[in-house]
Amino acid sequence: MDTLLIAMFEILSFGAIVVLVVLGLGIIASMMGIFNFAQGEFVLLGAYVTYLVHSLGLPVPLGMLVAPVAVGALGFVLEKVVVRRFYAAPIVAMLGTYALGLIIREAVRGLTGGLYLSVPEPISGSIMIGGLHFAAWRSVIVIITLLVMAASHALLAHTSFGLRVRASLENPQLARASGISTGMIYSVTFAFGAALAGLAGALIVPVFSLFADLGIRFLIQGFVAVMVGGVGSFAGPVAGASVIGTFSAWLPWLMSPVIADVLVFVLAIIFIKFRPQGLISGRGVNR
Amino acid sequence: MSSTGTGIQPPPRVIEAARSPLMASAFAGRKKVLPILELALLIAASIAPLVLRDYITVYATRVLILCLFALSFDLVWGYAGILSLGQSLFFGMAGYGVALLSRDFGVGSIFAVLPAGTLIGFVAALLLAGFLLLGRHPSSVVFVSLGTMTGAYAADRLARGSHYLGGQNGIPSIQPMTIGSHELSEGPGFYYLVLAILVLIYLLSRFLLRSQFGLALAGLRENEQRIAFFGYKVQHLKAIIFAISGAIAGTAGSLYAFHEGFVWTNMLGVVMSTQVVLYVLFGGSGTLIGAVIGTAIVEGLSFWLSDNYRDIWPIILGVLLLLVILFRPLGLISLVLGERDRVGHFGPSLKEKRNAAP
Repeated sequence: MDTLLIAMFEILSFGAIVVLVVLGLGIIASMMGIFNFAQGEFVLLGAYVTYLVHSLGLPVPLGMLVAPVAVGALGFVLEKVVVRRFYAAPIVAMLGTYALGLIIREAVRGLTGGLYLSVPEPISGSIMIGGLHFAAWRSVIVIITLLVMAASHALLAHTSFGLRVRASLENPQLARASGISTGMIYSVTFAFGAALAGLAGALIVPVFSLFADLGIRFLIQGFVAVMVGGVGSFAGPVAGASVIGTFSAWLPWLMSPVIADVLVFVLAIIFIKFRPQGLISGRGVNR
Repeated sequence: MSSTGTGIQPPPRVIEAARSPLMASAFAGRKKVLPILELALLIAASIAPLVLRDYITVYATRVLILCLFALSFDLVWGYAGILSLGQSLFFGMAGYGVALLSRDFGVGSIFAVLPAGTLIGFVAALLLAGFLLLGRHPSSVVFVSLGTMTGAYAADRLARGSHYLGGQNGIPSIQPMTIGSHELSEGPGFYYLVLAILVLIYLLSRFLLRSQFGLALAGLRENEQRIAFFGYKVQHLKAIIFAISGAIAGTAGSLYAFHEGFVWTNMLGVVMSTQVVLYVLFGGSGTLIGAVIGTAIVEGLSFWLSDNYRDIWPIILGVLLLLVILFRPLGLISLVLGERDRVGHFGPSLKEKRNAAP
C-alpha cells in the first residue's frame, strides 16, 4: 500500500512536469496553428536563466521568477522579428522555429561548456503525510502546475483578452474589422506560450540538472503529447500530457527504463496513426 | 489520366516530344545553368584529390558521403514534401548493420556490404513508410515529421542502451572494406570510389525525377490535393520515394561506417538528422545539386572555421540557416537558378504547344 502511494506520487509529479512543458506548446499550436520546434529550447532557456541567477549568488526562487519573464520577453521579440513571417506557411514555420531552437541550444551549449550543471532545490527535504515521505519540491511542482493550468484556462476562457485571442484565431479578418489588433494578440500569445515553457524549465532544473540537450527530449515528448491529446482545444494537450506523463513514469516500474522510454513514444505514435484527431478533437478552435 | 503508383504511363506524344532534339534547343539560353553547374562541380570534384593534401582528401571523402546522405533527404523533402526529421535512422541502421557484419561475420567485401547496407536502409524505410504514410487517413506533415523524429530518437536510445551494439561507445575499429583482395583504406582510392557512387546515384535520381514520376512528385509537393484529384495514388508515390531515399541513406551509412572505421550512436540520432536538414535547406531543396552544394559549403565552412571558432560555429550555422529560410526559402541555389529550372519540365514548352495545337 505504501509503495503504491509513493509510486502514485512519483507518477503524479512526473505527469505534472510533462503537463507544464506541454501547456505552452499546446497553447501555441492550438491558438496559432504553429508547431513551435523551439519550445524545447525555451524550456532549456528557462532552466539556464535559473542557473544563471543562482550562479550570481542570488536565491534560486528569484531565478524561477525571472525565468518566465525573460523567456516570455524573448518569445515576444522572436515573434515580432521572425515567427510572424511564417504564419502563411506552417511547414516553413516548423523549419524556422527549428533553426531558432538550434541557435538557442548551441548558444546554451557554448555558455555551459557542454557540462551538466546542477541547481539546488529551493525547498529541500520531504513532507510527512501519514508516515509517508513525499519529496517537497516535487509536491511544489504539482501544486504550481495545477495553479498555472487553472490560471491559463481562466485567462483564455473567461477574460476579454482570452476572448480576443480566440476571436483572432477563429476569424482573423472579422477580428481585425472589429478593432482587435491581431498582430499584437499573436505576439502576446506566443510570448505567453514561451513564458510557460520558461517557467517549466525553471521549475524542473533542480530535478533534471541543466544540460544543452535538455530541450530535445521534452520537445519530442511535448509534441507527442499534443498530438495524442488533440490540437485545437485547451483540454486536448493537457489530457495528452497527462497520459504521456503517466505512462512515462509508470512503465519504468515494469521494465528497463530505456525500453519504457521508447515504448511510450512508439505506442503514442501508433495511437495517433489510428486516431489522428487525438483524444479530444478540437471544438471550433482548430485549424 | 489514370495511373497506379508504380506504372505511370505518360501519353506517347509527350514521350516523343521529350526525346526530340528540338526540345533541347527550345530551352536554350537561361535553361543551361543547371547542367553547367553540375558539370563544373563534377570536374572540380574529380581533380580535387590531385591538388589537395592527403588529410583534406580524407575530409573531402567524408563530405562526399554526406552529400549522398543529403541527396536522400532532398528526395523526400525537396521533391515529395515529406519532412523526414529522422533520416539518420536509415543512415545509422545501415552503418550499424555493416559494422556488425564486419565484426561478427568478418564480411568486408564491398560487393557484400554495400548492397547489404542499401537493403537495410530500403527495408527500414519501406516499413516505416508503410506505417507512417499508408493507411486510411492521409497523414499530416506534422505527424510524419514527428514519427520519423521519434524513430531516430528511439533507435538512438536503444543503441545507447544495448550492450550488443556497444552502448555509448558504438562499434570501434571496423575492418577496412575490401575489393577482391585489395584493402580499401581512406585516401584518394576511397575518394574516387565514393565519387563514382555519388555520380551514379545522382544520375539515377536525376533520371527518376525528370521522368513523369518525378513530375508527379513535384506536383505533390506543390499541391497534394490536386495531384490526388488527377488520380495518382499520392500515398503510394510518397511511400515509394521514401523507400528509395532510405536505400540511398543506407548506402551512405555503410560507406560512412567503413570510411570512419567505427559507428556510434550519433549516426542514428537527432544530431545527424539535424545535420542533413541543414545541408539541404542551406543549399536549396528541390534541386539535387542544391543538396550537394549545401553539404559542400556547410562542411567546407565548418572545416575552416571550426578550428578558430569552434564554440560559436554551431551558432553561426543556426543563424545562417535562419537567414536562408527567411530570405531565400529555396536555398542558396536560387541565387543562380530560376524557378523554372527548379520545378523541372516535361513535354514541349508552352510556346511550342500553342503552335502545335490543331
